[in-house]
Amino acid sequence: MSAAASPILLEAQGVEKRYDKFVALGGVDLKVRANTVHSVIGPNGAGKTTLFHMLTGTKTVSGGRILFDGHDVTREPDHRRVRRGMARSFQVTSLFLTLPVRENLRLAAQGVAPAMALNCWSPPVGRRSCADTVASVLARLGLERHADNPAGNLSHGQQRRLEVGMALAARPKAIFLDEPTSGMGIDDLDDMKRLIQGLKDEHTVVLIEHNMGIVMDISDTITVMQQGRVLAEGLPDAIRADERVRSAYLGNMITGGKA
Amino acid sequence: MTRHFHLLLALAIVVAMPLFMQSGSLASEVLIFGLAAMGCNLLLGYTGLLSFGQGIFFGLGSYTIGLLLTRWPLPMPLALAAAVGMGAAGAAIVGWVAIRQRGTYFVMLTLAFAQMFYFIAYSASGLTGGDNGLLDIPRPSLAVAGHTLWPLATPWQYYGFVAVLFLAAFWFLRRVCDSVFGRTLLAVRDNEERAAAVGYDLRLLKLQAFVISGAVTGLAGALHAMMTGIAPLSNAEYHTSEMILVMTVIGGTGNLLASVLGAAFYVLLGDWLSTLWPRWLLLLGVVLMVVSLGLQRGLWGLGESLWGLVRRKAPKNAPSAGLNATGDNA
Repeated sequence: MSAAASPILLEAQGVEKRYDKFVALGGVDLKVRANTVHSVIGPNGAGKTTLFHMLTGTKTVSGGRILFDGHDVTREPDHRRVRRGMARSFQVTSLFLTLPVRENLRLAAQGVAPAMALNCWSPPVGRRSCADTVASVLARLGLERHADNPAGNLSHGQQRRLEVGMALAARPKAIFLDEPTSGMGIDDLDDMKRLIQGLKDEHTVVLIEHNMGIVMDISDTITVMQQGRVLAEGLPDAIRADERVRSAYLGNMITGGKA
Repeated sequence: MTRHFHLLLALAIVVAMPLFMQSGSLASEVLIFGLAAMGCNLLLGYTGLLSFGQGIFFGLGSYTIGLLLTRWPLPMPLALAAAVGMGAAGAAIVGWVAIRQRGTYFVMLTLAFAQMFYFIAYSASGLTGGDNGLLDIPRPSLAVAGHTLWPLATPWQYYGFVAVLFLAAFWFLRRVCDSVFGRTLLAVRDNEERAAAVGYDLRLLKLQAFVISGAVTGLAGALHAMMTGIAPLSNAEYHTSEMILVMTVIGGTGNLLASVLGAAFYVLLGDWLSTLWPRWLLLLGVVLMVVSLGLQRGLWGLGESLWGLVRRKAPKNAPSAGLNATGDNA
C-alpha cells in the first residue's frame, strides 16, 4: 500500500497532559501519514479523547510537542490550527441546533477565513456564501433534502453525519473524527463507513472509534492506547494478532466484528 | 425582504407616536430606550451575553455630551459623535476584560464594572457633578455656519431629531445583524465550543459586538441627557443596566423591533402606572415573572403567536361568525 510511503502530516512527540496529580496522557508519540485513515483505539479512559483535544488544540498540553504540516503548533489555540488545515468532529454531537443545516455548513466553511466574520456590513451572499463547498458537502452527506431544516430537527444518524460534514466543510488537510458512530443504529453505520472511507482521497483521517468492524475495515494504521500511553501500533492484521492488545483490551471483541 | 418590512415597521412606529401621544418627551424617551435596548439585544439575543455593563455605556454617553456642551463650545453633532465614541470605548474596555470568562463569571465581571463605574462617577464630582449630576445641559439647534437647520427647543422638535437618529441606528443595526458578522454571532450564541472548533476567534467576535452595543447605548445616553437637560448619577447606576436588560427581555430577544416594543411597554406602562401608584415597579416584577416563566420569546413572541392564531383561524371564521351572531341575538 502506498500509504506507508506517504509523508508524515501530523506528529506528536511525547505529548503529556496532567490534571493536578492525575496523568491523563503520559508521553504519547504518534505519526500520522497523509491520505491515510489512522485509528486510535483503546478502552474507556485510555486518553483517546484527551489526545484528540491536544492534537486539535481544544486544550493545552502539559508537555511535549505537536507538529502539523511542517509547523510546530503546540502553542496554537484551536481556531489557529483550523487555518492550518485541521478540523474536528465531536464525540457528543455539537452543532448550531437552531440554525438550518445549510447555515451550519456555511459557518463551518467560512471558519477557514475567520477575519471575514468580522465584516458587519455585507450579508453572506454571492462570493461570501461558500455555496460550492456547502453544496458539495451536502451532497456527500446525503442531506440535501434537509438543507433548510434546523439542525436540531434532524435524526440522530443525520446529526452524526452533519457532525462529520462540519469538519469537511473546512476543506481540511486532516480531519479528526471522535467516535462518529456513537449511538448510531445499525442502519446508519454503513452510510457512515462509506462516508469516512471516501474521505481518504482528499484528506487525512484521524479516527477514534469503538466499532471494531469499522476500524478493522477502513484503517491503514491503528494505534492502541491504554492508561494514557501507546500500547501498540500497526496494520489492522498485526493489531488483531497482537497478544498484548488482546489481553489488554480487545479480547474477543476483535474477532467479534469479523471472522 | 423582512429587512425592509422591519424598517417600515420602525418607520411606522416613529410616525404613529406623535399622532397618538400627548407628550413629545415621553415619545422621545421610548425611542431613546429603544436604542439602548437594541444595543443590549445585540449582546443578549444575538451573542448570548448577559451584560450588566449597559448602564456604564449609557452613563458615559450622558456625561460626555453633558461635559462637552456645558464646558466647551463644541458643535452639537460633534459632541454627539464623541458620546458615541466614549460609549464604544467604554464597551471595548469592559468587554475586553469580561469576555475572558463565560457564564456566571462573565456576568459577575460586568456587574463589578457597573459598580466600579458608579463609584468613580460618584467620586469624580469635578467632572460628573457627583451626586447632583451635570445640570443645565443645553439643547442647541442643529445649525451649519450659523444657519439653523433644525431647532430643537420644543419636545416634538427634539422628537423629530431623535427619530431620525433612531431610524439611522435601526437601519445600521439591522444591517449588522444580517451581515456575515451578525450571522456568525448567532453561531456563537448557539454553541461556543463548536464555533471555536470551526475556526472563529470568539474573543474578537464578542469584543466587536460589545463595541457596537456600547456605541448605540452611548448615543442613547447622550440623547437622554439632552432631552432632560441633566446627566444625573442615576444614568450611570446599576439600576439603569437592569432597566435596559428588563426592557430587552420583556420585548423578546433575538429581534431588534422586539426591543423597541419592550422599551415602549416599559416607558409607557411606567408613565401610566406611576400616576396611579408610586410602587408600580412591583407590578413590573410580575410581568417579568410571566415572561420568564412562560413567555420566553417576550411580547414580540406573544404577538407572533397571536398573529399565527388569527391567520389560522381566519378561513374557519366564516361559519363561526354566524354562530356568534345568533348567540348575540339570543
